[in-house]
Amino acid sequence: MNLRVLHRRLAVLMAMAGLLAFAGGAGVEPVSALLAAAALVLALLWQPGRELSARIERVWLPLVILLVGRALLHVFVIRDDVVVPVVDLILLLLAAESLRTLDAPNDFRLYALSFALLLAATAYRPGVLFLVAFVAFVGLATMGLMVGHLRRAAERHGVREIPLGRPLVWTTTGLTGVILLVAAAVFVVFPRVSSGWAGRGETLATSIAGFSDQVSLGGHGSTILGNPQIVLRVEFPGGLPQGHQGLHWRGRSYDRFDGARWTRSRGMPPSGGPTRWYRDRWRAPRLEQRIYGAPLDVRVLFALHPVLDVDPQNGIQPLFDNAGDFLYWGSVAPAYTAWSPGAIPPAEELRAVEAGYAPPGRYFLQLPELDPRIPALADSLTAGLPTRYDRVMAVQGHLRSFAYTRELPASARETSLEHFLFQRRAGHCEYFSTAMVVLLRAAGIEARNVNGFLGGEWNDFGGYLAVTQNQAHSWVEAWFPDYGWVTFDPTPAGAGGGGGSEAWFWPGRIFFDGLQHRWNKWVLDYNLETQGGLFERWSGLLGSPRVEQVVERTSGAGSRSFRGPILFAALLLAGFLWARRHRRLVPREARIYLRLREACERGGVTVSPGLTPLALVSRVRNQRAAAAGAAARVVDVYLRARYGRQSLDEAELRAMARALKEARRSLGAKA
Amino acid sequence: MRGSRLLAVRGLGLGRRVWSRIGEMRRQLRAWRRISFTAGGALFTAGAFAVGFAAMNTGNNLLFLLLGAMLGIITVSGWLSEQAIRAVRVERLLPRAVTAGQELRIAYEVANHKRRLPSMAVEILDGELPGRAFLPYVAAGSTTRTRSVNTLERRGVYPLLTVTLSTSFPFGMFRKERDLDVPGEIVVWPRTDRPVPVTSQGGGRVPRSGAGAQGPHGHRGEYRSLRAYRAGDDPRDIHWRSSARLRDPVLREYERDGAETRWICLDLASAPGDPAEVAVEAAASLAAQAMAEGRSFALVAGPTVVDPGEGAGQLERVLDVLARVSFSPGAPLPDPPVDPGSCILVSVDGAPGFGDAVVVGRHA
Repeated sequence: MNLRVLHRRLAVLMAMAGLLAFAGGAGVEPVSALLAAAALVLALLWQPGRELSARIERVWLPLVILLVGRALLHVFVIRDDVVVPVVDLILLLLAAESLRTLDAPNDFRLYALSFALLLAATAYRPGVLFLVAFVAFVGLATMGLMVGHLRRAAERHGVREIPLGRPLVWTTTGLTGVILLVAAAVFVVFPRVSSGWAGRGETLATSIAGFSDQVSLGGHGSTILGNPQIVLRVEFPGGLPQGHQGLHWRGRSYDRFDGARWTRSRGMPPSGGPTRWYRDRWRAPRLEQRIYGAPLDVRVLFALHPVLDVDPQNGIQPLFDNAGDFLYWGSVAPAYTAWSPGAIPPAEELRAVEAGYAPPGRYFLQLPELDPRIPALADSLTAGLPTRYDRVMAVQGHLRSFAYTRELPASARETSLEHFLFQRRAGHCEYFSTAMVVLLRAAGIEARNVNGFLGGEWNDFGGYLAVTQNQAHSWVEAWFPDYGWVTFDPTPAGAGGGGGSEAWFWPGRIFFDGLQHRWNKWVLDYNLETQGGLFERWSGLLGSPRVEQVVERTSGAGSRSFRGPILFAALLLAGFLWARRHRRLVPREARIYLRLREACERGGVTVSPGLTPLALVSRVRNQRAAAAGAAARVVDVYLRARYGRQSLDEAELRAMARALKEARRSLGAKA
Repeated sequence: MRGSRLLAVRGLGLGRRVWSRIGEMRRQLRAWRRISFTAGGALFTAGAFAVGFAAMNTGNNLLFLLLGAMLGIITVSGWLSEQAIRAVRVERLLPRAVTAGQELRIAYEVANHKRRLPSMAVEILDGELPGRAFLPYVAAGSTTRTRSVNTLERRGVYPLLTVTLSTSFPFGMFRKERDLDVPGEIVVWPRTDRPVPVTSQGGGRVPRSGAGAQGPHGHRGEYRSLRAYRAGDDPRDIHWRSSARLRDPVLREYERDGAETRWICLDLASAPGDPAEVAVEAAASLAAQAMAEGRSFALVAGPTVVDPGEGAGQLERVLDVLARVSFSPGAPLPDPPVDPGSCILVSVDGAPGFGDAVVVGRHA
């Protein structure tokens, strides 16, 4: 393959990589993308001759004008998103440029258009596909630019062929590696002074049911059914907790039930419970959760209940509302770390509590008009039980004897709570949680309905728990004085929320999602905080041992602090040796001669750039006679070595150096 | 008082030395490498700045990634261009001389002393000469040759001090140059094809014998003596037996070799410029004409005298001198070792006392 064809093919492949990157970010209009892809594939295999190329250009021109007009229309008249028309224009131009004759000097246009696609893709939040396309683009650009340069240089100098082959491939691979390393280094090190980038398309968030201000009984389960989209990825820096399938990722709570719908009361006073209760009384080990949420259409932060502390990582602003729900401000996909107790307080402690502060009963003891059988059931379940905890457990135990089903009731009458409790005795999580809250309230225990996700699938490759939409779940929080809201789940064990993830969680999906998670975490959501953490870790490696380590290690405590200076000194030494190695390429006799010229110049002898060695001696003789003898000796040895091709021994070189010294002394005497 | 003055002088000396050393380092650095942008490189760098600015403003991490790749390309470009011109030695192979107006082909023997990396797409520039040699590829540890083609319009001695290795490999974004000290000079002879306006048929009377200069072509008379061989003499005239005996080549000389000598006297009393150059070319053309006629010829130019001789070697000697002569209005008239009446004077303004004169005039 000659250079021209190779160059064109590489440029076309670059364009394909650009197209792939853009498709990975924003997707493309199928028609324009397919046409462009077809044109690029054609250009890869075939290049038109001059005449045909000229004819094709006549077709492109009106099309380009049309697309420019369309883009202008979008900007000035329709005033909507201009990206799609501009990308269509770029694709058309790419197709046109790639289908030109091989002689066309359009290298820079092809490079620029490909790069424009890559650049446009960064305006979105592309997935791992962007990374693949980016690496391919860098590799192809390295080879393409190199081959293009060689091609043009060879054409300019009339050289027919340049021997390229396997060495070019190896060189390109190596260079691509270096470029990617530099890119990674710049990416990691470059200070992030601006935080948060709401990529285009991010607001087209994953829509999820069950977290708005009102939830209809039965509506939630129908929406989430069979939706495997990942909504949360949770890492546990302290290790995966036991029984992760039972973790309740709390979202929103609902206090008002009208018999068919759950809503949130307006103007509710703070009723989440004091944080110090949760901090002091919930003694289970703290569980650290690093949570990466998908961009949802609700600004809810999910975490295990109760959240003791939260650390936002990508510019979001978390806040608690009066119900104790955890929301946030910000337009990015939330990433945050939350700390929660690993389990609810032990049963004995909860049994010991009876009296104390309780949130307003008009919110948490509120009941709609009920079928009389329901309060009767509540009474029958809780009668005679001495503690609040026992009463709650009795209601939960009763409901757990029901069956779990996602099948919706056949008629409107069958959607009622009474029908669930007394006839059907089967339903999905919303029925169970609603029934439990109503029964608890009927028994005088403050309770509320909570929506969130249950469990998750552990991803070994990524080291995180993936929570999907079909794991959405409803459960109950009951109030315990001095302890706050405690989680109870009346849904029969094993039924969980959505379930059924095994069907899609095949190994490839796990691997791909692990990649996607790392991409999101380390690239898209990389921020000042992550950067600071990395630097802290590195500075720990290079020196500045932590205080406790210094205290612990009395001997050799400061040895780590020398690593930095030692590394610096090693770099300096390497640079010095490299410079010496470079200097050796100039023969010693030539160096001595050049020093003589410099000494003459400093001594006041006019040394023009074109002055030949013998002319230099003659000039020294005329202008500084005292140095002429020594200068002549230097030049004599130099000429013998340079033009006589004599190899000089060490004694001659030393004599030459002595003559230089003498000449310098004579030249410097007057100066 | 004297002590403080001494101290001041020493301090001044030290300051000068330090300053001189700084200047030397600066020159060395400049000689070491020079980097300049190509148009594409300037655009690319501006683009990198723009992407960096956008990345910092928006906090878009993918722009940081792109910026990193662009900086990576710039880094690789700088490193690879350095590799292309590093550890490369150039030997300039010059012709003995070249005639003004004719193509000068300078060959370069280029050795790549690197162990692994080839040198690619390197141009070689020689001093101020406009022509460039191009090296598409020199494998690691190998030597190759390339050449540049130039045309020098004026005679003279052109000193060539440095050879510049220049490359914009690998991406054509930056041009990196490195000077190598390769001293040499190129001698450019004057043109010898100028029609000479000889005023008399004799073209200068033949000295001593008084015969016409236009002797029968190729007829050189009787054998007269032997003389030492000089570079450029016709090898057919070598007397091999005597050469073997003397262990140095000697040449036969014939009667008419000395008798028909054309003495060319170049008058250097003129301001440097085009007329002077025409005079030099006229003298060179007269010498070439004499060689073509097979006659002996000699040159007097200022204090330099080229003794009579014939053949291509004699012409080279004459042209070497003519390449180096310089004009000055106050220069004395040529003083040939023979009767000036038997010489041809080549002059810008003319002068009396010579047998024949070629006056080129101010408007020649």
